[in-house]
Amino acid sequence: MTDTVTISPVGQSLRGLLRTAGWIGLGLTVVAVSLSDFLATAPAGASGIGPILAPPSAAFQFGTDVLGRDMLSETVHGLSMTVRAAIPAALVALFVGALSGFSAARLAVPLALSFRWLAGILAAMPALLLAVLVIGLTARGWAALAAGVSAAPLGFVRAFDRARVQMTTAHWNYAHATGLSRSALLRRDLVYEFRDVFAASAARALAAVTIILSTLSFLGFGAEPPRRDLGLMIAAAKAYYLHAWWTAAFPALALTILILFARLAAGLDEGERP
Amino acid sequence: MLRFVLIEAGRLLLGLLGAALMGAAIASVAHAGDGVLQFFSVWGEQLFSFARLRFGDSAISGLPIVTELATSLPLTLGLLLEGIVVASLIGIPVGFLFGMGAARRAAAPLIQIAAAVPIFCAGLALAYLAVNFLQWPVQLDGPAWFGSAVFPRSLAEAQAALLPALTVGLAGASAVQVVMSRAAATIAREPWRTQLYRMGLSRWDVEWIYVVPQIFAALFAHLGEVMLSLLSATAVAEWVFSRPGAADLFVKSVALRDWNAAGAIMLVFASLTLIADFMGRCAAHPLISRGTVR
Amino acid sequence: MSNARRILDVRELTVRRGDVLELDGISFALDAGESLTVRGETSSGKDALVRVLGNFLERGDSVTGTLKFGDGDARPASRRGKGSIRISYLCSPRFAPLSPFASTVSQLARIVACKQATAGSSGREELRIALERFSAAPSFASLNRKPSELKPVELAWSLLAAAMAQTPELLVADHAFAGLTPTEIETLGRALMDEQERQGFALIYAAQGLQTAAHLRGRTMVLRRGKVIEEGDFDKLAAGQCHAYTKILFKALPRFAATPQARGAQRGEPLLQVQGLDLSPRKRRNSRPRDGITFELRRGAALAFVGEEGSGRHAHVRALLGLDRFTNGRVVLDQVDMSLLSSEMTSRLRRRIAFIAGADEVLDPRMTLWDTVDEPLRAHLRLPADMIAGHREAALKRVGLASHDGRMNVAALSAFDKRRLQVARAIVSTPFLAVIDEPLRGLDAFAQTIMLELLVDLRKQEGPAFLVITADLRIAQALADDVMIFKDGKVIERAPVADILRAPKEAETKRLLGAAEPARPLPPACAEPGELILQLARAPTPFEPEILGIPPAEIAVAEAAG
Repeated sequence: MTDTVTISPVGQSLRGLLRTAGWIGLGLTVVAVSLSDFLATAPAGASGIGPILAPPSAAFQFGTDVLGRDMLSETVHGLSMTVRAAIPAALVALFVGALSGFSAARLAVPLALSFRWLAGILAAMPALLLAVLVIGLTARGWAALAAGVSAAPLGFVRAFDRARVQMTTAHWNYAHATGLSRSALLRRDLVYEFRDVFAASAARALAAVTIILSTLSFLGFGAEPPRRDLGLMIAAAKAYYLHAWWTAAFPALALTILILFARLAAGLDEGERP
Repeated sequence: MLRFVLIEAGRLLLGLLGAALMGAAIASVAHAGDGVLQFFSVWGEQLFSFARLRFGDSAISGLPIVTELATSLPLTLGLLLEGIVVASLIGIPVGFLFGMGAARRAAAPLIQIAAAVPIFCAGLALAYLAVNFLQWPVQLDGPAWFGSAVFPRSLAEAQAALLPALTVGLAGASAVQVVMSRAAATIAREPWRTQLYRMGLSRWDVEWIYVVPQIFAALFAHLGEVMLSLLSATAVAEWVFSRPGAADLFVKSVALRDWNAAGAIMLVFASLTLIADFMGRCAAHPLISRGTVR
Repeated sequence: MSNARRILDVRELTVRRGDVLELDGISFALDAGESLTVRGETSSGKDALVRVLGNFLERGDSVTGTLKFGDGDARPASRRGKGSIRISYLCSPRFAPLSPFASTVSQLARIVACKQATAGSSGREELRIALERFSAAPSFASLNRKPSELKPVELAWSLLAAAMAQTPELLVADHAFAGLTPTEIETLGRALMDEQERQGFALIYAAQGLQTAAHLRGRTMVLRRGKVIEEGDFDKLAAGQCHAYTKILFKALPRFAATPQARGAQRGEPLLQVQGLDLSPRKRRNSRPRDGITFELRRGAALAFVGEEGSGRHAHVRALLGLDRFTNGRVVLDQVDMSLLSSEMTSRLRRRIAFIAGADEVLDPRMTLWDTVDEPLRAHLRLPADMIAGHREAALKRVGLASHDGRMNVAALSAFDKRRLQVARAIVSTPFLAVIDEPLRGLDAFAQTIMLELLVDLRKQEGPAFLVITADLRIAQALADDVMIFKDGKVIERAPVADILRAPKEAETKRLLGAAEPARPLPPACAEPGELILQLARAPTPFEPEILGIPPAEIAVAEAAG
């Protein structure tokens, strides 16, 4: 029924391959975003390019929407908008969340536990609703910050707990016994956290904030027209996509592929749902 | 066990206090511009009211928020419950399927590829399949046509109710499967699995008497995480399928700056997660057998 | 040969795992009541033999040859299935053999019941009866706890009882007493022998050290790279009538030196002064405080704290070094009263103390080999990079790790490499005190000898004082000048090590001494540092230096010097 070997070398190679594929995919996405103005055949939001609600064809590979906009161009522009908002949001989530949690664990115990308690309360709330709240308290233009801040508590809690576990390990106690100061230990741990976990944490944060941002736009709290990201495009297509599937399918596919690349780059070890 | 439960209960109470503080702070937002002292004063009053389950009146409808919650919360909880059932029916078998066996454990993360689809996209995709392939009468816009019923009363309502339940359930199943696979992978590295077999237990005994309970224990211990996934999915599913539940009310409250309602709903959702976490950790404790919760 | 029943007949057993030949056509036989100790270094093939005999082959094992159990027919060794005799498996408590989530008794009772095909309650009863046969074993009720709550020796007794409760005809013991103290090994070994005499089972004991073989009766089989180098009576092998490899294996064992080695630096001024250190809690105001321990450790001197686990050695060392607070007594380290220092100042003082522990988890597995050695220089002394590199290279060369890739993670190193890495880290930190805690635990025989040589060399070159924590008086003799014997949190005897060995006064001291001294005399140990390396170079059978991590170039140098 089971084997003594837990992850075979083949399994580990597969995971490594998937991780590499994820980073390559993200890299290609960034390149595509940088060149979006060249890749798209029409400017963002340009209507009347083609017939209304035309299905995919040789002329319009992704079809057109209800305003005659080229879906391929719109998807490329939408992807660009999404990525440009997701990257700073992911950085906010990473620094306010994971790195802060990792550092907070090394504070004096009462202070550390207070921060942990506060983050735990915020993490008990679905990140999406937290982001809606932050936008409601600030403004719609703060969607990226809201997504980053709302994804941060869970990252804070996980990093905090991981750091506290590390502080009970034999090697941590050994290093402390040999006179390494707490700040030196923190520096050491941050270096290795950066090296080993940072990339995966960044990718995981990117996946999480992308989901939050696109859902916010879908709910009407994210991108504001006429600048449309993928979530807003899908929300706009909701009224007629049942009969014109391409108006929602291609933006959804682009969004899913972006999230998939980020998940692959993170290593697929943990599911992340905001 | 009693000591553990009491400690966890203390943590729960602290958590609920924090959630109440947060909810009361949100409800006091309207007074944020009146100065710090005024804000804290209102905050304190709101907290006191929250403690007595008095959330004030809705700024939108004028009705007591308790009344609004009494109408909308059952729909949300109903959808949540449906999602839990689907998540359990799908997630637990899939979790075992991909948790046992090295090769299958290696393949388990590939399920995350399917889980990369955002919930609202998954919901819309399910609606598309239902309308175009199964000819189900699904409506995505307009008022929820099954009214305020928590559970469907006809085939048509059942067909429509299945989609949001599936949407929520699949998201929950993904979370369940991740937790179980992670636990199975951790336990697979433990030397005692091999040694117990060498000492004379059959593999069946080792897996079902010692490994499976630990996987379930990990699932219970992470019930809070699973609940978070389900609540998120519920919020999105309500919006996609126009179900006027509490999450839908929260979104509208924030949009229309009804902070009393937003604070109250925030408190409810946070409490659900904290209570699920508490119950899960208490359920996990005997299975982990007087040890630490992972 | 007596009329004892033939229990096991192994013919041309070959085990391959992928490209690696683990066992190469070995053959041997074992009768009821007979013992066979299988001795070999890592990758000698004894693990493969245990897997085959225990009938738990793993995926990837390719097995040829035949096995005959008892009166059954000879069958291909690759064919799984139940044999015609009862076989029990006994492993070390250090292997973490039981689930940490259930009680020890429930798991072992289930195993006994499963092996005997009886009900669980019957298994419990059999286990209880088997345990009660051992006078030194813990009580049955006390084992109704998680395995992590038991001491290793308690777990060892429970595992032994479970194996005996199965009334085996063949017992396969897989390093069953590894990691235990000499006294514990002696007691358990004697119990095992008594049970063997009572039940008449055949015993195969796979071991790294020969200490267990010295306690057990019967034959010894020496394996190397899958081949039988030698097989024969233990006394004959120990008397030197054996293969060159076996001789060196015996010589590599730590043992009491007839003429102790010359020590390092002359003793200097006091480094550590302890007055009335008493860690027992003061009960009530009116009761008199007990007398605590009082001693002095001078610069360059070496003191050993010897005792069983739980005797109070570690607690006292932690108190001396300021890791734990104490209220009764006074500790002056490097002329500074420790009670006057803040925890931060105490931590700074500990930068001049090196710790070498017999546990691999003390090194951060994420760090690279170079980072581990560099860290004291970077963090404490803040030296420039080129100076750090110079010190690092010199230290790694001294411990034989210079040829390793410095960017390799610690997690990828073997136990012996990690142990030497700790010594390299100690070298660069130029400590005034080195705390050495069971430095040979879990190492192969050759590795143990080299490790001792490295520690002696550390003291000779860098001149730190040594504070050695061990349960083995042989290690105390090798590394220390004076010994303090601990029991139940108190010092019961203290003297220079030579006096302790010559005329121990306390019963506990005699017990520790008796356990460390093998029942049979062994050939003289290596007389000079580095002799082992030279011997390896001169032996007729070619040795691969990879066993010891010694690069071929160093062997060539040793050959040329010899």
